[in-house]
Amino acid sequence: MTSVGAEISRETGSFAETKVKLRVLLVEDNAADAELVLRALRGSGFEVISDLVQSADDFRRMVRSNCPDVVLADYNLPQWTGMEALEMLRHEGVDVPLILVSGALGDVKAVECIKQGATDYVLKDSLTRLPTSVRRALQEKELRRQRKKAEQDLSQKVEELARSNADLEQFAYVASHDLQEPLRMIANYTQLLAERYRGKLDEQADKYIGYSVDGAVRMQGLIQDLLKFSRVGTEEIEPRTTESRAVVEQAVKNLQAAIQESGAVVKWNGLPAVIADPAQLTQVFQNLIANAIKFHGAVTPVIQIGAENKNHEWVLTVSDNGIGIPAKSWQDIFVIFRRLHTRTEYPGNGIGLSVCKKIIERHGGKIWIEAQAKPGCCFKFTLPMETLSKAAQAGQA
Amino acid sequence: MNAEDLDILLVEHDQDDTDLALHALRREKLANNIVVVRDGEEALDFLFCRGGFAKRSFEHPPKLVLLDLKLPKVDGMEVLKQIKSDPRTKTIPVVVMTCSKEERDLVAGYHLGANSYIQKPVDFEQFREMVKTVGLYWLVINQPAPVKGVAKVAGQGSR
Amino acid sequence: MRTTEVLLVDDNPADSDLTSEILASSGCHIQSVTDGVEAIAFLRREGKYAIAVLPDFVILDLNLPRKDGRAVLAEVKSDPVLREIPITIFSTSVAREDVVRSYQLGANCYVSKPGNLRDYIAAVTAIGEFWLGLARLPHEEQR
Repeated sequence: MTSVGAEISRETGSFAETKVKLRVLLVEDNAADAELVLRALRGSGFEVISDLVQSADDFRRMVRSNCPDVVLADYNLPQWTGMEALEMLRHEGVDVPLILVSGALGDVKAVECIKQGATDYVLKDSLTRLPTSVRRALQEKELRRQRKKAEQDLSQKVEELARSNADLEQFAYVASHDLQEPLRMIANYTQLLAERYRGKLDEQADKYIGYSVDGAVRMQGLIQDLLKFSRVGTEEIEPRTTESRAVVEQAVKNLQAAIQESGAVVKWNGLPAVIADPAQLTQVFQNLIANAIKFHGAVTPVIQIGAENKNHEWVLTVSDNGIGIPAKSWQDIFVIFRRLHTRTEYPGNGIGLSVCKKIIERHGGKIWIEAQAKPGCCFKFTLPMETLSKAAQAGQA
Repeated sequence: MNAEDLDILLVEHDQDDTDLALHALRREKLANNIVVVRDGEEALDFLFCRGGFAKRSFEHPPKLVLLDLKLPKVDGMEVLKQIKSDPRTKTIPVVVMTCSKEERDLVAGYHLGANSYIQKPVDFEQFREMVKTVGLYWLVINQPAPVKGVAKVAGQGSR
Repeated sequence: MRTTEVLLVDDNPADSDLTSEILASSGCHIQSVTDGVEAIAFLRREGKYAIAVLPDFVILDLNLPRKDGRAVLAEVKSDPVLREIPITIFSTSVAREDVVRSYQLGANCYVSKPGNLRDYIAAVTAIGEFWLGLARLPHEEQR
């Protein structure tokens, strides 16, 4: 049945050269009228298979057994009306256009019928209009069918996405609980072994136990980092107007110990209100500042944080005077667990930047490294600007 | 004092015991923010954010209530009962302190929902040790109920 | 006076053993069960636990097989007799919902089970020092 509509859609609207198969259900008590209708259709390129019914019961039976492409109904029939046929189609739940083919009804009644759902109304003495009307009805039906399919596809994709997210969250939970527990057993008991049997077994045994402890403890750290990373991708974020200055102050507060120990100086100015989830933005600044402190090399770390307005976005900058990152690694460095140094040179699992990237991307921004004149790193990332109207509402300058 | 960081509400009528407890807590640096109330009525006003404490919010409960049973105006058991029967306050840890060795009070207290029950030592040193252990356990080791969860459940406030 | 009876509910024998070992210095007697159904049976002194002594204190993990710790907590704290027994939750979960729910169900306290050995030992030691050393537990006169 759908091929009818599809073929009709491909036509240019003028006289078709290939015959289009059309199944018609005629609701008409006058045989001569019925014949005229069929002739009008056949004469304009339709290959018509038709059924003729007069009673409501026959109509219902035909719709159920040989569902037509279109119903052509007279308005006035003995015992029932064409509009009742429309009601019946609805009841059967089929999308079949109904065109009233009738004697003069008067405009008011005609409009009334269309309002109630008849696709069109063609006068019996203007049957030349009929083929066009049928074609249009079938085109509209095809469009409806396509839209419905698109909606179904969309909701299916949404469902798949939700399922995929649910899978990810479940994975995060598994990683956090189910994996950590056996790992904890290994870590705890290898450490107990190390403590209680040190010197009681031979040197080789001590070494083996030492490696086991190292491996277990490292794995605990990796699992926890992986969990942090996956949470960032799946937990709810609540972007709202956030003062980035307050966020930086909080990040600095969280890093007090590291800052005091290294004597680091963190400076910031001109930090704007942005649209972001405050907790996640704090994490971004915290990770960037922590890295800047960690990779400080020989000099006391000095970290500058600023912002500029560009292309309707805020571009925030965190730059430092540390050991820097070679240009060839500027892409790679954002990949999870990617490290440029050995563990003995600098500790850490290498998730800080991948977490930053994930958070920024979830906020619709980008993060990257730029060259800077002095030694060190320059990280930049974008965040949406608080809109002007919002600022006005909040009564801010 | 930052209203958000209230560590302990000390409900104690006896002045000496109050001084001793405060001294011990501060010395061990276990609690920065401690509020002292002197009787049962004040305690209830404080926790239920009414009367003289109407400006307080249910969103910032103390991490711990140290409740002496011997109180004027409203007796300690009654205070305990009210705290533990209201959804807005029932999740606040309440450690009951008493001089009485009465078994009856002990069972009644736990039955009403006291989180724990401590006998106040007579000895000065022991009292100090007791306060230190209580502070360490309830402020450092124990996880207090997160506040937003409480407020949400009781139908108060918004996220 | 009899020794303090502690019921330890944890499905992980490695954790259970470690906890028991650390608490042993407090001079208590520890009974361990590994799931929620056993925990309830023990507390109700049913079946093979008919002659068990009612514990003075319970350390309860949340994630248990057969019957989950949250259900055990709910059941115990709604029983007029059993509710007096102090229960400390000792769980790896630090999920806000778990902490809040536990307090709402009547848990006496909530201690997070640390991931590393040193903190684990410190936490259990603190539980022992407070609950088995300082706090008064109900029905002690009956011991």
